[in-house]
Amino acid sequence: MADQQDNIPETPLFDRARSLKGYKLNKMANALGDPANREAFRADEDAFLDRFGLSAEEKAAVKARDWHEMVRLGGNLFFILKISAVDPVPITQIGAAQAGMPHEQFLSERLGKKVNHG
Amino acid sequence: MAEIIGGIGTSHVPSIGVALDRGLTETPDWKPFFDGYEAAKEWMREAKPDVAVVIFNDHGNSFFLDRVPTFAVGVAETYKPVDEGWGRRDIPDFEGAVDFSWHFVDKLVERHFDPLVCREIDVDHGLQVPMELMFGRPEKWPVKIVPIWVNTVQYPIPTPQRCWEMGQVLREAIESWPGDERVVILGTGGLSHQLQGTRAGFINREADLAWLDGIANDPETYRNMTREDYVEQFGSEGAELIMWLVMRAAMNPHVNLLHKHYYAPASMTGAGMVLLENAA
Repeated sequence: MADQQDNIPETPLFDRARSLKGYKLNKMANALGDPANREAFRADEDAFLDRFGLSAEEKAAVKARDWHEMVRLGGNLFFILKISAVDPVPITQIGAAQAGMPHEQFLSERLGKKVNHG
Repeated sequence: MAEIIGGIGTSHVPSIGVALDRGLTETPDWKPFFDGYEAAKEWMREAKPDVAVVIFNDHGNSFFLDRVPTFAVGVAETYKPVDEGWGRRDIPDFEGAVDFSWHFVDKLVERHFDPLVCREIDVDHGLQVPMELMFGRPEKWPVKIVPIWVNTVQYPIPTPQRCWEMGQVLREAIESWPGDERVVILGTGGLSHQLQGTRAGFINREADLAWLDGIANDPETYRNMTREDYVEQFGSEGAELIMWLVMRAAMNPHVNLLHKHYYAPASMTGAGMVLLENAA
């Protein structure tokens, strides 16, 4: 999390700076708790993101489903996770993207799961 | 006076609810997790509580960042399960223990707490999942609830010591309540997990196992830890464990650890529970 010094390594706490920085992004994602907004997001993602005044950088991160970048921009997992309700992706895959490793490696190395290829 | 019949600490991982919704409880991934809750469910059937006080955090479902209460208490007649983005889950609404909730709010303010008092609000998986783990999927919940929300999402989150103090007031409120309700207290959240940053997927089995015994027999240690200690040992979201301290502080200094259970990973989380009864 390059923009801010974290006391605990690799662990971005959602503090004042991040809350302010990610406010619009989180507000957009939070709105997806409403079925009508989920419909609008599906119908025209660009227009939906514009409605919340997202910057070009934020829009690109959302559209690419770049979870690492969304967090860097102040996104909080609890809010941005709602994007995965509209466009399903397992939370472990979101975790893997942040850890910067392939999904299966994340499952075995971080979570201690036996990966079953069958 | 009302009586505290037990204290429970439990995870509230959302994927537990998903596993229940999709009928996955007998699959190899989930069976060992759910099996470990059977003893506590059985205890609950026998103990027949009237009221469940549930301490949990909202996960950006009932509160957004426009207003973040450090502590909130529900005084509503009914609480609906909130739509978290996947549609409203098909579980019954929760009936509130309205009169006791107000009494608790009175006590809190008397003791210099300043809670947000919620008259109309939905509840997310933080409350739903522990209720399902303890009571299964009844047509109607067998208890009335008192929801207590603790902010564990946006910093500053409350200190472990402050959670402890809230538990002391909770005990005082129960003991000074004229009714004869049997009350069970559910402290929820954790165990170790981290959802954000390059340390995502962090699980600390050793610390989790130590916690399950320590919360029963050595709560002082955990009450004296800093918030940063929690994040370091249990991960950024694992710091939710501070909410078990509210439950623990409401119990006697000495408790019997009747059941404990640990399973990892449930989704991305170390998951488990303890069931405590007051000892003399």
